[in-house]
Parts: sequence; structure tokens; C-alpha cells
Amino acid sequence: MLTIQNLHKAYHTHTVLDQVSLELPQGQVLAVLGRSGCGKTTLLKALAGLLTPDAGSINWAGQSMDAVPPREREMVYLFQEPLLFPHLTVFENIAYGLRVRKEAETHVQQKVAQMLQELELQEHAQKKPAQLSGGQRQRVAFGRAIIFLPRVLLLDEPFASLDAQTRATMQRLFLRLARKYGITALFVTHDVKESLLVGDRFAYMAAGKLQVYTSREAFIADPQTGVRDELAFWSALEQQTPYQP
Amino acid sequence: MLRKTLTAILIAAILLPFLFFGMLSVGQAWFYPSILPQRFTLSNWQELLVGQSELQVSLLLSLLLGMGVAILSTLAGFVISKEIARAKYKNRWLLLAYWPFVLSPVVLAILVQRFFLLTGMSGEVIGVLLGQLILAFPFAVIFFQSFWTQEVLQLEQQSQTLGASAVYTLQKVLLPLAKPLLLICFFQTFLISWFEYGLTQFIGLGKIKTLTILVFKYVNEANIFHAALASLLLMLPPALLLWLNKKFVFRGI
Repeated sequence: MLTIQNLHKAYHTHTVLDQVSLELPQGQVLAVLGRSGCGKTTLLKALAGLLTPDAGSINWAGQSMDAVPPREREMVYLFQEPLLFPHLTVFENIAYGLRVRKEAETHVQQKVAQMLQELELQEHAQKKPAQLSGGQRQRVAFGRAIIFLPRVLLLDEPFASLDAQTRATMQRLFLRLARKYGITALFVTHDVKESLLVGDRFAYMAAGKLQVYTSREAFIADPQTGVRDELAFWSALEQQTPYQP
Repeated sequence: MLRKTLTAILIAAILLPFLFFGMLSVGQAWFYPSILPQRFTLSNWQELLVGQSELQVSLLLSLLLGMGVAILSTLAGFVISKEIARAKYKNRWLLLAYWPFVLSPVVLAILVQRFFLLTGMSGEVIGVLLGQLILAFPFAVIFFQSFWTQEVLQLEQQSQTLGASAVYTLQKVLLPLAKPLLLICFFQTFLISWFEYGLTQFIGLGKIKTLTILVFKYVNEANIFHAALASLLLMLPPALLLWLNKKFVFRGI
């Protein structure tokens, strides 16, 4: 279980994280909905150990992560843009975390081949990232992050730069692999639909404050999340122009 | 046709000084109005290769200084440039790096001369090395700013969260990405040292005779044959580095 208690971070007088607390059981995905600049990225970076919070604590399975360096946290941060190592092939990018952990070459070959199959990227194994499309790059980044089964996956609007169709494919892929590997993840997004699609649990972030909901219904019912407005919009549209297959 | 002519002119422009200085370096007794020297001899070259001649010592010293300056400034520039890229007041630090170039090397030499006198490093090789680093190090710092982009810094963070140590990230991510720039910076800073005159003369007090200093000395003495040989030696490493640059560095970009 990931436990965050009263996490606080401020730059000068501007508070970015305001007493953020949450509990996330293992194998569940917390969808964090929020607008740009609400502190979502800061929260994820603090969890990954890439920046130090001013106060508060981060625990995994009862063990404090506060003094644990990023490389030992096993909490992989996935940037909005798929940051692949440009000089490495798709295969080597995916194998990176395994090589870091000095896994045997036969295991590396086997696991990466399996992951390439999961990601439907077998024929691109020897390509460099520059030769891939945006969606393919994001798939490689995702595969590279989950191949060694980290404790927590921190996704910072990972599909925001993709077109609608690729985005939907990626959302389905994420869901399938998250279920298969029992991934514990914080999935940050500003897209209402995406948050409802990927989340097991739901939270809303605004001005550094995180509100965690007890259920999907509570998340939908809260007017500040904007879910009801979105639903109303699509409902109104449907009434104006009846759906004809 | 035009392209071939231009290439031929370019090759001739590069080779002509080598041929001219090569011819002069084996010449002896050249008097007006003769087109060529009266005699040709390898004695100047023998002087270079045998014994402890001034030219030989100067060549080795220049190579030592060039390599030292290139290695130190490239490594330090790479590391410090990263710190500056991550610093809160990045532009202020960068302004400091431009300082030696704004002042001009000779003015800088006058300013730092007292420090070298007080520390007893004037007229010493270590003093000249440090003096040349005053120019080469900021150059390397500015040079590597183009490498430490937000993307590279994020790649470093990505590597860390994937479980890699700082050393592993350096070996497997940063150095392979920076390799072409590291080589170019190494060559450039080597050349800064190799051709440096003002600071070397000022801090070296004329005792540290690098090849560049020696060329000027021979020219002042009207010793054209030695000046030609020293000039030829001065031109060889940059030509070699440029060739290596073209063959190995730019090929990878």
C-alpha cells in the first residue's frame, strides 16, 4: 500500500502541494484529474524522489521512502513526452531496467521479447526511437517502465500528446497491462473521460489540494470535477442529433 | 565542373602552406632573387628528431599543454556546464563564463599576472597550463550548454527512476549522447592551447617556449628555415584533428 501523509511543497510563497494525503492499495490505479498547474506533476515528482517535499511523508508497505534515493524507490515516473534513450534501439530501451538490475542475458532476451509482443512492437525491435510514431514511442516508454514490475508507476498525462484514436488504443493497452501485471499507479490526466476509463480510484486536484473520493459515484457527483458537465454536454448533443449507425 | 574546380581550389589552399613550409624546412641559404633555396638538407629535421633540441622540447611541451588543457577543460566544462544548466540563476553564471572573452586574453593576462607572480607560477609550465585554462574552461562551459537541454536532464531523471545509479546513467546514457560534443570540445580546447600566444607569453615570461612562441621567435630572428619547420609542426596536429573530426566525429552526427 502506498501511503502519503500531509505532503507539502512551496516555491517562495506559492504553495504547490498543500497537505496532500492518500492511500493507494497495491495493484490499483488512482486517476488524478486536474487542470494544468494544479500541482499534479510536483506530486508525481515528489513521489519519484526527483524533488524533495518541504514536509510530509511517503510510505510503501509501511516503509518510509523519504530518505530513499530515486533509483532505489522503484517508483517509475513517466513523462508526458515519451523520453526514450535516443541512442538505444527499441529492444535496448525496454531492456534498460533489466540491465540496470544485472539480470541474466537469457532472462533479458526472454522478457523483452515477451514485452515486445505485448506491445505489438516485435518488428520494430531494432529500430531507433526517432524511427517510431508518437504512439509507438509511448508504448516503448510504457513497456520499459513496467518490465521490471516497479512498486508504483507514476504517469504524468502520458497520452496527452497523442491523437484521439492512438490515445484510445493506448488507454486500452494500459488497462490490459495494468490488470495483467497488477500495476499500482497514479495516473494524472486533465481528461475527464480518461480518468474514468483508467481509474480504480479517483481524485481531483486543484491549487495543490488533493481530494480523494470514496467511490466512482462520489467522483462523478462532485461538481468541481466537471464530470457531470461533460456528461450533460454529450447527453445534450445526443438529444439534438440522434445517433445513427 | 564548377564543383570540381572549387574542390581543387580548396584542396590547394589547404595543401599549399604545407608544401611551401615543407620545402622551406629542408632549405638552406636562400638569397634574393633565387626562386628556390640554394641547398636542400635534412639537418633541421635531424635536429628535431635527435637530441634535446629547442624545437623538440617545444613540440613536446606544446603537446603536453594541449592535451592537459583539452582533457581538464573538457571534463570540467562538461560537469560544470550541467550544474549551470540546473542552477537557479543560470544566466548569471553563464555571464561569468563569457568574462574572459569579453576582456580579451591579453588584458586578462595582465589582470591575473599578479596572482601567478605571488604563487610563484609565473614562468612555470603549471602557470601557463592554468593560464590557458582561463580561456579553455569557460569555452567548454559555454560549449556544453547546448548539450544540457531540458530533455537531457529529464532523460537523466528517467534513468534514475528506472533504477540506474549516477555512474550507470553517465556511462550508458549521458556519455554516449555527449560523445560527438565531447570530442569536438576536446579538439577545440586543444587548439585553443596549441595556438595560444598572449597569455602563454605573459605568464610564461618567455621561459615557456611553446611552438607558437617559437614560431614568433624564429620569425623575429629572420630564421626562416626554422620558422618554416616550427610552422609546419604547428599546422600538423590541427590538420590531423580536423581529419579525425571529419572521419569519426561528424560521421556520427
